[in-house]
Amino acid sequence: MAKLTDEMKDVLKIVGKGGAVIHLTTCSAEGVPNIVAERFVTHYKDEYILIGEMFAQKTKVNLNENEVGCISIAHPVKGHSWVFRGPCTIISHAAPANYRWHGIKAGEALDEWGEWSTKEPPDEVPPDIAPPKLAQRGIIALKVDEVYSFAPDEAGKKIL
Amino acid sequence: MGIALTPRMKNWIEALGVHVATATAKGFPTVTVAEKCSVDNDTIRIPVTPGQKDQIAGNLSENPNVALAPGQLGSVRAPYQFKGKGKIEGGELVVSVQQIYCTKPGYEAGIRLDVMGYDQMREFDESRWKDITPPGAR
Repeated sequence: MAKLTDEMKDVLKIVGKGGAVIHLTTCSAEGVPNIVAERFVTHYKDEYILIGEMFAQKTKVNLNENEVGCISIAHPVKGHSWVFRGPCTIISHAAPANYRWHGIKAGEALDEWGEWSTKEPPDEVPPDIAPPKLAQRGIIALKVDEVYSFAPDEAGKKIL
Repeated sequence: MGIALTPRMKNWIEALGVHVATATAKGFPTVTVAEKCSVDNDTIRIPVTPGQKDQIAGNLSENPNVALAPGQLGSVRAPYQFKGKGKIEGGELVVSVQQIYCTKPGYEAGIRLDVMGYDQMREFDESRWKDITPPGAR
């Protein structure tokens, strides 16, 4: 288990609040990777990253059969060349409040981050990108086991 | 069979690079990031440093599947995902693109574009986007 630093926590939030868009990578059990950008992101406690689950399709299929993911900082990078890797899952709004995944209680996490478009509306997103409707189905949670660098000259170097 | 990238796809990833996802045969993923690449028809050539090569060569030797997503501002304004087979050739990762997906958030998220064929895919692109070239790119 790795503990996120304050600097990492400061980047792991929505762009509109000074954070970054991230890429989430998952993989099928047969080894076919899938990578998509995500705007609704936050750190959670000291060792988790949460993403709003709104349009996940292949991501959901992959996580149902292979519970691991990577999150890489996409934009702006500003020297934060980090990849976070660890167990990853979807906690659906349909999950009972007392359902637990690693150290996350579904009810607590969904109470705080289950209505993300109201809590942090995508006001900074240009109109030609912003989706006309947002319907959150749950949260994607990644427990950070390790952090490594993606800077070309030190690719793969362990940070945490 | 490969599918050629549209001019917009090519312009954005050549200028802003890609996040490269590979995995072991059992599905343990690794991400590396390249700041630039070059596109020729259905082939994307990504220069890799020795460290990046160390990270992905083992995965590719047992599992050639690769997924790519545009980097930097492209992660916001160029919502594509490219899937294909990759191999290391000298100092480059060479990816033959076989599938292209739209990842724009909303009702079009996840649409598979390559099945439209090149002309319709290009029309789809140009009907939705005015920035065929990213800001600041030649």
